[in-house]
Amino acid sequence: MKVYNDFFGPYGGRYVAEVLHGPLAELEEAYKAAIADNSFREELDRIRREYIGRPTPLLYAENATARIGGGRIYIKLEGLANTGAHKVNNVVGQALLARRMGKRRIIAETGAGQHGLAAAAVCARLGLECVVYMGEVDIDRQRPNVFWMELFGATVVPVGSGSRTLKDAVNEALRDWASSFTSTHYLLGSALGPSPYPDMVREFQSVIGRETRQQLEEAGVNAEALVACVGGGSNSIGFFSPFIEETTPRLVGVEAGGRGRGAGNHASRLSGEGRPGIVHGYKSLFLLDDDGQVLPTHSVSAGLDYPGVGPQLAALGEAGRIEFLTATDSEALAALKFFAATEGIVFALESAHAGAAGMKIARSWPKDRSVVINMSGRGDKDLFIAARELGAANWAEFLKAEAARCESR
Amino acid sequence: MSPDKNICLMTHMIAGYPNAGTDFEVARGLIDGGAGFLEVQFPFSDPSADGLPIQAACMAALNAGFRVKNGFELIKRIKSISDIPVFVMSYASVVYAKGVRPFVREAGRCGVEGLIIPDLMPGYDEGLFQIGAAEGVHIVPVVPPALSEARLSEILAQNPAYLYAALRVGITGSRTEIDETVFSSLARLRGTGKQVFAGFGIETRAQVISLAVHADVLIVGSEIVRAIAEAVKDGKQVYESVKRKVRSLLEDGATVETEKTE
Repeated sequence: MKVYNDFFGPYGGRYVAEVLHGPLAELEEAYKAAIADNSFREELDRIRREYIGRPTPLLYAENATARIGGGRIYIKLEGLANTGAHKVNNVVGQALLARRMGKRRIIAETGAGQHGLAAAAVCARLGLECVVYMGEVDIDRQRPNVFWMELFGATVVPVGSGSRTLKDAVNEALRDWASSFTSTHYLLGSALGPSPYPDMVREFQSVIGRETRQQLEEAGVNAEALVACVGGGSNSIGFFSPFIEETTPRLVGVEAGGRGRGAGNHASRLSGEGRPGIVHGYKSLFLLDDDGQVLPTHSVSAGLDYPGVGPQLAALGEAGRIEFLTATDSEALAALKFFAATEGIVFALESAHAGAAGMKIARSWPKDRSVVINMSGRGDKDLFIAARELGAANWAEFLKAEAARCESR
Repeated sequence: MSPDKNICLMTHMIAGYPNAGTDFEVARGLIDGGAGFLEVQFPFSDPSADGLPIQAACMAALNAGFRVKNGFELIKRIKSISDIPVFVMSYASVVYAKGVRPFVREAGRCGVEGLIIPDLMPGYDEGLFQIGAAEGVHIVPVVPPALSEARLSEILAQNPAYLYAALRVGITGSRTEIDETVFSSLARLRGTGKQVFAGFGIETRAQVISLAVHADVLIVGSEIVRAIAEAVKDGKQVYESVKRKVRSLLEDGATVETEKTE
């Protein structure tokens, strides 16, 4: 695959105010130079080993497989990466690039908080200033990540405009960058936005797919499908990356089916009601009304309710290389429970969407076929949502008692 | 004192704000206050180049049910009472959703002088500049300070009649310090022979005076929107409030009572 693409088929591009064309051109040049530089790649590899904890394991989920009684289920345990999700792969790459460019201040947007958390952690490690924009709705549902980000020394700025979620945090980061670009790098967390972000983020996330391919080869497994959840799409495009120019295996992206169809109930762009549009600096498929206004979305997982999808995924979806399915909120929660019970693994709610789709595929398959699910994140951050949604015993009593303990301090 | 004839103001307003119907009163107030050009923003849900005042106004208009067709109807109504040149400002998503050519054509039919779409710039304009030329609707590129010569040449290659000079980097909604750097970047753009609109952060009469000879048209945006928001909040007549606001920018000593304390 080419290292740099401005467009992927009809999608991609750089649709930004003129003030950001200069900084994006500078970033593109710096990125191309960095990834061609051995010393940059060596430092990236070292941090991947020593800080992220790569390679992350590939687990044969034999109990889950036996319980389902169909195809063999493998799980790429990407959520074992330091900070709990794949997001750190991209953060490390871009933070090293920012340092190389002489940018000492990092801004980032976050939805579920996993990208913000990774950015805050890596900035602490590399000695960079970090500001994270986060929608007020997301702060409400992912408070534990706010706590950790602040512990890492980041400033978390609540975003109260628009729908007060990830898309609005992106707007706010773009607004910041429009005046701060001289000193600041915008560390975008998904494989979307104006070029060069879609390429750069995919490239930094492609380590997931490369490792998976090698691990499958070493285990002698012929995987016939790879399954990943798709919010903006960075874990999926990274996971699929080594395979997208081949015809096998099946590549399956799973979008948030939420509560069902209809605007405001889901975030299914490719498998649902997405249409071509230009938002956040790139052309892709978005959930928009007839006037081009961004529609509300819903997902039980804060990381999957973004109204657009990375341009390369949109192009590969339309070209038929990647299939898109949905999993509903309740299917994701059921998958979370299932893998916890069978394998002792807690999926992040986002990744549990991939888990749910992987279970369906395995169920429909004979025992000699194999599917790999990317568990892009682990579910520690979802403790409060999962406990509430799954009706944990005495949970409300615990929270009340905990609140009382906090107040009496 | 009559409005200063040497200064041409382009005043910014938002279609559908503070509501459908009153937006027309805003336009009348701006025109009667002495605006030379009108810039009418069609609200977009994600206005990433705008600061808080305009974000809030766009959100209010959308929540009240603004549709793009209402924006074009507003412009037809404005053009029925005045021959003031009207520019439509919006974002790529709104233009692209209707289709670039249909959007430009509809604008032309409504008598729009030009379009300002900051995220459709040469190289990534979806044909906007070429379609604008074919349809007789000017496309006004927003040019930030210190733009490279190479990039400025690419923009000028589209042969725009007007350049919108952003007086500083960043987004709308906060005051710009007017200094020599601002003057020299305006001089550079005026050297191209194009008509230069200057905007971003113009809020006071003093700024208007110091910029007057350095640009052809001065744009006042967020400050007008703030005046509307205040009038609505205080239950004052919007028409009178915006008219006074424009007058206060064009005349010395006008309407001290609308000056807000911060």
